[in-house]
Amino acid sequence: MDWLRILWSRCAAFFGTKKLDEDLDEELLAHIDLATEENLRCGMSPQEARRAALLSFGGVAQIKESYRVQRGLPFLDVLLQDIRFGTRQIWHAPGFAFIAVLTLALGIGANTAVFTLTHALLLRTLPVRDPGELVRLSIDVSATGTRDDNAPLNLPIIEAIRRQSHSFHDVFAWCVYDFPFRDGNVNSGLHGAIVSGNAFESLGVHPAAGRLLTPADDQSGGGPDGLAAVISYRAWVARYHADPSVVGRRVIVTDHPATIVGVAPAGFEGVIVAEHPDLYLPLEFQAALYGQEAKHDGGRLWLQTFARLNSGVSQKQASAEMNSLFPHILDAVLPPAIRHMPVVENSRFAVKPARTGWSKLRVQYTEPLLLLQLMVGAVLLICCANLSGLFLARASARRVEFAIRGALGAGRLRLMRQLFVECLMLALPGALLGVGLAWMAGPWILHMLGNAEAQEAISMQPNPAVLGVTIACAVFCAVLFGMAPAWTASHASMEAALRSAQPRTAAGSTGLRNWFVPFQVSLSLTLVVLAALLGTTVTRLLTDDSGYRTENVSFALTDFLRVPEKGEALVTLYRRMAARIEEFPGVEHVSIAAVAPLMGVRWSDDFLAVANKQRTRPVESMENVIGAHYFSTLSISILSGRDLENNDSDRNSCVVSEAAARLYFPGTSALGKTLRNVIHHSRTGEADTYRDCQIVGVAQDTKYDALRELPPPIVYLPITVGEGGSTNGGSTLFFIIRARSISTARSAYLAALHELAPSSPEIPPVEFNQIFQDSVARERLLSVLSGFFAMLGLLLSGVGIYGLVAWNVTRRTTEIGVRMALGATRPRVFLLVIRHVAGLLAIGVLIGALAALFAARSIHTFLFEVQPGNPWVFVLSALVLMMIGLVAATLPARRALTIDPMQALRTE
Amino acid sequence: MGDGKSDVLQGTLDLMVLKTLESMGPLHGYGIARRIEQVSNDTLNLNQGTIYPALLRLQQRGWITTEWGTSENNRRAKYYSLSRFGKKQIEKETESWQRIAATMARFLATPR
Repeated sequence: MDWLRILWSRCAAFFGTKKLDEDLDEELLAHIDLATEENLRCGMSPQEARRAALLSFGGVAQIKESYRVQRGLPFLDVLLQDIRFGTRQIWHAPGFAFIAVLTLALGIGANTAVFTLTHALLLRTLPVRDPGELVRLSIDVSATGTRDDNAPLNLPIIEAIRRQSHSFHDVFAWCVYDFPFRDGNVNSGLHGAIVSGNAFESLGVHPAAGRLLTPADDQSGGGPDGLAAVISYRAWVARYHADPSVVGRRVIVTDHPATIVGVAPAGFEGVIVAEHPDLYLPLEFQAALYGQEAKHDGGRLWLQTFARLNSGVSQKQASAEMNSLFPHILDAVLPPAIRHMPVVENSRFAVKPARTGWSKLRVQYTEPLLLLQLMVGAVLLICCANLSGLFLARASARRVEFAIRGALGAGRLRLMRQLFVECLMLALPGALLGVGLAWMAGPWILHMLGNAEAQEAISMQPNPAVLGVTIACAVFCAVLFGMAPAWTASHASMEAALRSAQPRTAAGSTGLRNWFVPFQVSLSLTLVVLAALLGTTVTRLLTDDSGYRTENVSFALTDFLRVPEKGEALVTLYRRMAARIEEFPGVEHVSIAAVAPLMGVRWSDDFLAVANKQRTRPVESMENVIGAHYFSTLSISILSGRDLENNDSDRNSCVVSEAAARLYFPGTSALGKTLRNVIHHSRTGEADTYRDCQIVGVAQDTKYDALRELPPPIVYLPITVGEGGSTNGGSTLFFIIRARSISTARSAYLAALHELAPSSPEIPPVEFNQIFQDSVARERLLSVLSGFFAMLGLLLSGVGIYGLVAWNVTRRTTEIGVRMALGATRPRVFLLVIRHVAGLLAIGVLIGALAALFAARSIHTFLFEVQPGNPWVFVLSALVLMMIGLVAATLPARRALTIDPMQALRTE
Repeated sequence: MGDGKSDVLQGTLDLMVLKTLESMGPLHGYGIARRIEQVSNDTLNLNQGTIYPALLRLQQRGWITTEWGTSENNRRAKYYSLSRFGKKQIEKETESWQRIAATMARFLATPR
């Protein structure tokens, strides 16, 4: 424990320096006195005695110095000294400090904001036991070119994995769910998940109260507590004031009585990122709602599956094992018709690390976030270049100071260290302010994600990881912008600096400083071009004709799973409900649709033209099941023929879009022709059957699930009776309502729902306009943020150019004075100053254009109807940049014209 | 050194100071320095000042304690004395030094 004792005594000494110094002085004086006296006794003369005493003592100053270094904390001492000195420097130039801190705050703030989101969505490790062991199991269907991420699994597949695989333990399933929730008289919706019984055990989390779900709760027919429910810590505090007696409470979840058995731990948000579940139920809930068949359905992929790798098994080995088992599992689980579909045949089993959980948002946002991260990195570099330039200018103004300090014995390293501390003193407040800015911008950025759930679930509050990265950013900046000035300062020749206060000729640092401008300009140009391309993309997406009119239209998702009406009666209920909503004042049109447009949902089917002899193979087309007035509600014009009727007389009719008409009946009119819907019997594996329908109308083309695509062929089928007592569009359809206002639509819908289907859960309608806007959320986020970063880059580059020219004018005052005295005209002087910077700008623009072209190519997947090499974008961006650069240069250049030759020469 | 004096080896000064204090009792810095010079018969090339960093080192480790007192010429002087902990350390240090010395001696005794 020696070092601890020593450290303690050093610390103690650090705070009592003054007293200890006096003590040391006195002790050493006493020593010399004692020695002198002894020498006197030996018969020396007083002078000689003292001299001998000092001689045998050695260098007093050196001894004192080495004593002090050993006594206290010299590192801290010097640091404090540097900070005191730095404070004085900053105090003397508050404007400089202000600009430096502000620049850094913007640069670091942008980085922090983007990183906070990146961290929350991509990097945060789950708060569970041994998160490194977790893997996500899924089916990789990317081989067939589908855009979607890996498909989830289902219970039969999971059970097969548990039985056959030796790579995993704790295989558990997770499915995000929205629950209508009733406790006493309080009726509300809770967001949550249904999970396999072993999920909590597998994650190794411990309850805050009561118990968590166990495999016993997931048995068919329910566990010891019937239907067991676990609530989140957040819900426990907000709804039950953290009352432990909540355990055992009876509640109603979607008409089913359930018992709250426990509370999940604080901070636990499950394994799906950007979700915040408040209620967890076992998978058995699915069986309670829809029957055991639904829970064990092998044909539907609906369970996000996670597992822990057995120790000693690598992810690669697990993947290899699973891929050898996978075809057999599929054979056993899937109905033959699905089993041999190309998508399934080409699929592979995927084992992916899940230390950070999983989110479907990652599919969408991983690449944009990385792009934004690169862009803010560029902004930070521009900031650093700016500050580096400023510091260089200051360093050259402080040349004399550095020279004097050098002459007094300060080492090169000591000078650099002091400068570095000064930089850090600007960088750290800048970082702090940046964190504040990022925090304030947080809600705004989240809003742009266009995902209500994520907006609530993602916290933009700075956390240790984010703060760590921010501080690292600040230190990195300080090193970067402190490096150049520190280097030149420490290399300044002392006598040259001391001899002339005002250097007449370019010093060594000028060359270095010049290069900051092309560097900044090329980075800025890249940012501006990217922003322009992304901005164009969003504009094109939003203004491109989608075929719909979105104003005053709302979609109301309606869950008729538990209404008593089945079959014909259910279809009638939908029609009656549509007619009822239409009766309310202010409501213009109401229709029904299985797929609401632009919500990212695709439903396709195989059709073939019966009349067409050549085309015998069915061709895929988008499909929708609709009620009457669908086209008028969404302002889609019917080009020929008629709309579907609001009754069963149109059972065998259909309407097709123009594109579908062209696809199936090229060259002829589709009206009156017959279209055959080929139905693959997925469940039974029997031979395909078909249903014919006659085309009664051709509607204008519209986009289908996303704005990014061209209008696909669409076949609109009328709502009729479907399988299993539900409609041919399923049991959850949308009512599409055009009304005077959104609130009118909402109240009319809810009133009709209460009247005709009181047992159905209330899901408030959503605005089509909102969906329209949010369907380009990713592009919007990219374009708004990149636009902001590009502006920042432009601003900072402008400031950088201004700084360089201003400095050059100051530095060359004498030279300009001489030139003017020799007869140089003002325009010539102006040109002299501008020419230099214009050259640098041109170099920057050239390099930037190349870099931008490269960058634009690599983001081409984000673009829509604009080529990465669009010349207009490049030319305009370069012009904007040149203009800003020249304006920034002109302001200080004008000062060169006001130089009075006599004055300039006299100061020499 | 040409004058026949040897430099003080790194780490040996500490032990010299400890032994001095053990045999002489509480002593001020000058006293310790003089004593070391006398015992070494002036064969050591010792700057008296260098004992002060050594004293500080020992003090920081808690092997010696200090106290202001009055010197023989009636002057205020800082007196150093062994702490109880320091007394124990002397044995260890002595042992370790003897081991080194013995090893060195063996090396030197090895015939060429």
